[in-house]
Amino acid sequence: MIPASFEYFSPRTVPDAVNLLVRYGQEAKLLAGGHSLVPLMKLRLAAPRYVVDLNRIAGLSYIREGDGALCIGALTRHGEIETSDLIRARYPLLADAARVISDPLVRNMGTIGGSLAHADPAGDWGAAMLAGGAEVVATGPGGPRTISIDRFFEGTFVTALRPDEILTEVRLPQAVKGQGGAYLKLERKVGDFAIAAVGVGLVLDGGTCARVGIGLCNVGPTSLRAEKAARSLIGRKPDDAAVARAAETAAAECDPADDLRGPADYKRDVVRVLTARALRLAVQRARGGA
Amino acid sequence: MGNRITVTINGTAREAEVEPRLLLVHFIREVLGMTGTHIGCDTTNCGACTVLLDGRAVKSCTVFAVQADGRTVLTVEGLARDGELHPIQEAFREQHGLQCGFCTPGMMMTAYALLQRLPNPTEEQIRWGISGNLCRCTGYVNIVAAIKDAAEKLRASPARAGGKG
Amino acid sequence: MKVEGTYTFAASRQKIWALLNDPGVLARVTPGVTALTPQGPDTYKATLELAVGPVKGAYDGKVSITDKTPPERMILQVEGGGKPGTIRATGELHLDEQDGRTVVRYSGDAQITGLIASVGHRLIGGVARQLADQFFKGVEKELRPR
Repeated sequence: MIPASFEYFSPRTVPDAVNLLVRYGQEAKLLAGGHSLVPLMKLRLAAPRYVVDLNRIAGLSYIREGDGALCIGALTRHGEIETSDLIRARYPLLADAARVISDPLVRNMGTIGGSLAHADPAGDWGAAMLAGGAEVVATGPGGPRTISIDRFFEGTFVTALRPDEILTEVRLPQAVKGQGGAYLKLERKVGDFAIAAVGVGLVLDGGTCARVGIGLCNVGPTSLRAEKAARSLIGRKPDDAAVARAAETAAAECDPADDLRGPADYKRDVVRVLTARALRLAVQRARGGA
Repeated sequence: MGNRITVTINGTAREAEVEPRLLLVHFIREVLGMTGTHIGCDTTNCGACTVLLDGRAVKSCTVFAVQADGRTVLTVEGLARDGELHPIQEAFREQHGLQCGFCTPGMMMTAYALLQRLPNPTEEQIRWGISGNLCRCTGYVNIVAAIKDAAEKLRASPARAGGKG
Repeated sequence: MKVEGTYTFAASRQKIWALLNDPGVLARVTPGVTALTPQGPDTYKATLELAVGPVKGAYDGKVSITDKTPPERMILQVEGGGKPGTIRATGELHLDEQDGRTVVRYSGDAQITGLIASVGHRLIGGVARQLADQFFKGVEKELRPR
């Protein structure tokens, strides 16, 4: 109910925040939206001795498009992405994902950077970013470096971020003609984690798939890429047969656990169904519909 | 050994020395004595603790008081002005939008923020908008009706929209 | 809940069996273990500090190895707990040798109660496999000359 005591820092710049991580190492935790960390602290499952609040650092919250990329600052709230006209118009994969993260109150605080860095396998951004072919910018004492999302999730709650690094930006390839995306989530009730969720990002070129990404949420120890399923569509027309085959492949690629949200084989089948639906929706959007 | 914070709550600046681990909801209820904001769960689920932080509806049980330093907070106590109920409060009363009343402050604060953003919301937008606030009594029907009614009242008399601060 | 998996070692069954029964090795490779004290034949007391991301916990436990059929099979009973919760588990290890490689099949049945069970239930399976993987990777490191 009441978190353990900690010392609180509220740096005004990224270098100041990084220096605190360098100084306190594994005893420090970063605070962004706080809606994954604070619940853990209230249960005392997490009890960091130092909390570094990133919310007073200016310039970490933005949505910008240009130079071939969509750049989103790590402290951008889920709700800001959800209501962004740019995202709604050109990045349906992100618009779909943003609106199903938890509930509207949580979305007012939770951040995309915090969500990715927390790396809960049930986090919706993880699967969406895998589908979108994203990369993240990690800023440490030596400055920024880029990490491909494909190499980012190493384990449950474990990422490629070093203990002295802060995730400062998320980047996606800028939307091109023929691009479509979708994110579909099955949940027991609004605000819940997914029973399973699937994100799809694709680019159609002359009727066939030039680029395909499929990300799976909460059906494995980490956010997963359905790599084989995605590859099966490259260079092919996304007709019913190809979509069905990709959906079956995605279901076989995931690794769900039996738990209160359902048995493993049920979740596998949810992945199969949602993959097919998300592919069809993404294709429709790529062709200019929906 | 505490952290000195200043929070402008319902229009008034309040200063206090707090431990970093003090949750905003406990600061509001126990340090400031404003018990209109309720604690309904321990898991960031129910939304009974909803307040506005710099105009955004947030679950105050999942924010530290130190995060509110230098910021503005609006609670249910800040809705009525000069002894007159806010249109949202009137609507909840007239539409019977509450039974036990426990979720109601949170519902109304969420409604306040919702109606600022969407002055003429559809039923679906209202239901979507309150999906972070749980009610165990009403089945939500009259809550939705109350918010719709409040929207109408506010469109008719926009001067009554603001709360204290 | 059930946890199962396999791990393949490029070594003989005798070698792997010996490593799995060596308290010095177990103290080095068990994730988070801070102390492993033999309490009698095939029984150990263990204290662990496990961190899974931001979730850190200290645990006290007892491990007994029953039903040994060297070098192919053993059953472990684990009992332990800490503030985040308690665990009672039975695990079976099967060692199969094929062409100089040993395939270890593990399967376990665990009852977990407390905070991690109620709040973390959805993560336990994945984390358990992660820890098992870490354990076996540690055993593999023991094969290399120092």
